[in-house]
Amino acid sequence: MIRGVIIMNDQGKPRLIRFYEFQPVEKQQELVRSIYKILCSRAENVSNFVKVDSLFGPDVRLVYKTFATLYFVFIFDNSENELAMLDLMQVFVETLDKCFSNVCELDIVFNFNKVHTILDEIILGGQVLETSSSDVVMAVEDISKLEKNSNSIIPSIPGWQGR
Amino acid sequence: MGSQGGFGQSKEFLDLVKSIGEARSKAEEDRIVLREIETLKVRLNDPSTAKFKLKEYVIRLLYVEVLGHDASFGYIHAVKMTHDENLQLKRTGYLAVTLFLNEDHDLIILIVNTIQKDLKSDNYLVVCAALNAVCRLINEETIPAVLPQVVALLGHQKEAVRKKAVMALHRFYQKSPGSVSHLISHFRKRLSDNDPGVMGAALCPLFDLIMIDVNSYKDLVVSFVNILKQVAERRLPKSYDYHQMPAPFIQIKLLKILALLGNGDKKASEQMYTIVGDIMRKCHSTSNIGNAVLYECICCVSSLHPNPNLLGAAADAISKFLKSDSHNLKYLGIDALSRLIKISPEIAEQHQLAVIDCLEDPDDTLKRKTFELLYKMTKSSNVEVIVDRMIDYMIRINDNHYKTEIASRCVELAEQFAPSNQWFIQTMNKVFEHAGDLVNTKVAHNLMRLIAEGFGEDDDTPDSQLRSSAVESYLRIMGEPKLPSAFLQLICWVLGEYGTADGKYSASYITGKLCDVAEAHSNDDTIKAYAVTALMKIYSFEIATGRKVDILPECLSLVEEMLASHSTDLRQRAYELQAVLGLDARAVEKILPMDSTCEDIEVDKNLSFLHGYVQQALENGAQPYIPESERTGISNVSNFKSQQDHEPSTHTLRFEAYELPKPSLLPNIPPVLASSTELVPVPELSSVADILQTAPSASDAGSSELKLRLDGVQRKWGRPAVSSVTPSTSSTNTVNVQNEASQRDSAGRSNSKVREASYDSKKQPLEVPPEKQQLAASLFGGASKSEKRQSSIQKMPKSQNQAAETSHVPKAAASRTPTVKTSQPPPDLLDLSEPSVTSSGPSIDPFKQLEGLLDLTQDTTSETAGGVSGTEGPEFSLFADMSLSVQSDGAANSISNVSDRNGLGGTIIENLVKSNKGPNLKEALERDAHVRQMGVTPSGQNPNLFKDLLG
Repeated sequence: MIRGVIIMNDQGKPRLIRFYEFQPVEKQQELVRSIYKILCSRAENVSNFVKVDSLFGPDVRLVYKTFATLYFVFIFDNSENELAMLDLMQVFVETLDKCFSNVCELDIVFNFNKVHTILDEIILGGQVLETSSSDVVMAVEDISKLEKNSNSIIPSIPGWQGR
Repeated sequence: MGSQGGFGQSKEFLDLVKSIGEARSKAEEDRIVLREIETLKVRLNDPSTAKFKLKEYVIRLLYVEVLGHDASFGYIHAVKMTHDENLQLKRTGYLAVTLFLNEDHDLIILIVNTIQKDLKSDNYLVVCAALNAVCRLINEETIPAVLPQVVALLGHQKEAVRKKAVMALHRFYQKSPGSVSHLISHFRKRLSDNDPGVMGAALCPLFDLIMIDVNSYKDLVVSFVNILKQVAERRLPKSYDYHQMPAPFIQIKLLKILALLGNGDKKASEQMYTIVGDIMRKCHSTSNIGNAVLYECICCVSSLHPNPNLLGAAADAISKFLKSDSHNLKYLGIDALSRLIKISPEIAEQHQLAVIDCLEDPDDTLKRKTFELLYKMTKSSNVEVIVDRMIDYMIRINDNHYKTEIASRCVELAEQFAPSNQWFIQTMNKVFEHAGDLVNTKVAHNLMRLIAEGFGEDDDTPDSQLRSSAVESYLRIMGEPKLPSAFLQLICWVLGEYGTADGKYSASYITGKLCDVAEAHSNDDTIKAYAVTALMKIYSFEIATGRKVDILPECLSLVEEMLASHSTDLRQRAYELQAVLGLDARAVEKILPMDSTCEDIEVDKNLSFLHGYVQQALENGAQPYIPESERTGISNVSNFKSQQDHEPSTHTLRFEAYELPKPSLLPNIPPVLASSTELVPVPELSSVADILQTAPSASDAGSSELKLRLDGVQRKWGRPAVSSVTPSTSSTNTVNVQNEASQRDSAGRSNSKVREASYDSKKQPLEVPPEKQQLAASLFGGASKSEKRQSSIQKMPKSQNQAAETSHVPKAAASRTPTVKTSQPPPDLLDLSEPSVTSSGPSIDPFKQLEGLLDLTQDTTSETAGGVSGTEGPEFSLFADMSLSVQSDGAANSISNVSDRNGLGGTIIENLVKSNKGPNLKEALERDAHVRQMGVTPSGQNPNLFKDLLG
């Protein structure tokens, strides 16, 4: 399963932390720091995989990729495929890009609740849920629409359907 | 949330983010965040704060926590938001609680009710939000409260909901398998869901289930193959394509499942060959995801029953990976190679240059993966090159975790394939020098034994050469600063035993060096103990040979200092040294005979020499001795004493009462051993003993002394036939007085001759020294032609030797075959149990066991080793602990099971909820009251909040 998703900037400041097994705040910070240290020490043009069994236990690996000023990190165990995780990250970033039209670090800082919504549509409980970015965008838009509606009409619309 | 592109948040939040971004130090950032926390506290508790404002505050709270500060004061507000009717607020609330709360948090109970309500909502998006929360927040206790609704949602008309419901059930399964064990059929049913997405979701739990129990799912092989065929033939809707691959994520999951189902099953494998071959042909190796599927195919092929065509295709794919410029693909190539190599070892040869490139690559991940591959393909012909490389790398890295791993691998390989003893010692020196504190102490003991026992031949010359070279190398090394403690202990021991043996170095030179070591490490009692015992040996050898002994002044002052030491062990040793110095040559020779570490010490366990004395005492009216096992309920002195030896266990939590010793058990086992919970893994003994010893300063005796005693105890345990009249510990002690001092140092040396066979056999493969001119040649050279035969030849005599001569050669453990093991008389096996297990312990890398093993011989190795250690006392205790915890778990499970069944039994949902939530009802209501007190304006719906609960 996927153990966690972290987005942090190139200074190691976390922008989004999502662990699929609960981690206390201090532990989260510690993990983010150690991962940042590992990522910093990696040269350019090397593989995107790092074994992190010292942090998370045997056979746990992470895939990372830098997009502009951000590190995207997926942590997972041996029931996932490394390259596939890399592609899943691609799906995630593509979706962000579609939702924020040209996503940048600030979008993620200010709208991290929306980023969480998007991530929840892709990964649920540590398992891959959806891998088509257009489907995810659609689901997220539905949610936004509904949220707007519920601002004006207080009770939810019964039997509301459609996608 | 509705604002796309724009930031939609208030200026305050904007300013906060900005000021944190501009903060120049962590302290400044902390100040800003703390100020923010104060603001939020005030605002959140202000009842007049508007609702939509609350949402932003909660988001700011999340932001504060992402930055690592405690936001627990606001959790209750997030919980309150989940109760809100407004979807935007509700979703924000759910997001916040899933991020804030641990599933065991007290506040969860306030959310369960809302989740229940939302799961029944007409709006599928609300249901989805609730399912998201379910995946994160429901724990074992609360599963029954939402289970019926989640199961009902499996039939929801929206595929998104069905998908999430499957995931939620999977999550329940992960948290508490017992709670959903009756629902597993639902996962199978979802395989035939109309929507491929739901089917794909069902693969995740099935993968977990199959991993645990393959055999119950063999009937699904056909279904999985069919599904995979349909996917590969693009029968799924176009929307599932990703980069021109049809549903690659589903393909990968299916291939993983097939790999599990086909492993070691010829019939099942045969059903899969066609489809796996098809997919391998169809993969676009131009795209990332295509390669991912291809790699998964190779993994699958390596797990299936071997098929030449598929293996060929896999080999081609691997060479494509390895030739690629992408590090990711190289990494996968190396990984795939190490999987395939156990089936077709010759495949590595074609890729030797690529492998060496990867080894030299600056990328650490790739390098480590390559070392893993090399580790799996190590043979006696290439061990020197591989281990040298590993040590080079080990020296260069700082990562202690990996350093430990690679050091233990070096040791393992060196022990298993060492071409010569000199090489072995040199290699060990390097390992110890650079990672001494990271490797298992048993490794040091093995090395001591090797030096002590030498080649085990009649001719002593090579042995003494070996020893002199060891002494020489140690004298050279020991001056260096910062040597690890374990290595220094080893050095002290060897110098004590063999420092003056060849006459090259004078006693005063060696003793001077030893004193230097003890002085330089004045706060390490273990080193000092080793040093002083070494001094004692050197002096007594001198006395025994009739030479005049000049005791160095620094030595005298060292002894003086130790006589006043807080450590009773050090004091004891110092007194012994003093006493020995005062004896004449004849007595000294008896106490510490030259080069006697390999002598077997005869222990008269019956203490027959005391018979007369006992008889006399009985005649004088003394009570006859009752063996401990026959005494009931009396905690006698010897019992207590032996318990102290095993003390470490008493500080752990005990879940059951102490058992009374059973009378009919093996007669001379102290009750301590009979009760399973008492046993403790041996390796921990010394360290835990440190803490627990009644005299804290005696701690260091632990490492050597305790082991010695344990040895005795275990031997007794292993030989039920031997009956003793007196408690065991004392018996060993009395008889051993003579040799006590020397024995302390050579832990577990009693089975000295044991190792002859292993080193005999290890010398044989030496003759083919690999051509080192080319690394490639040395790594792979001759691999294809002679290697297989060679290794089998090596191994045959080895195991035969062992079977014939010895039964417990620690280092040869790896080449042991099951037959050898069964032929061993059990007492022998246990006899040496401590040393043998300890060396086979580290040599059997759990990692290796996981990843599958190099070849068949090694395969059996791990099993054998497992078997051996299985008979160990310490292991038993481990299992005992496990079974204990399982028991308690089981109890909990069965409780939840019962309530589940109630639900199924046809009671109404409300009823079930009520029955489960019953005990918490009052608490929940109190909480609600509390919440209101805190200034919450109850919304219109709030009075109904606990309607479900109240029934």
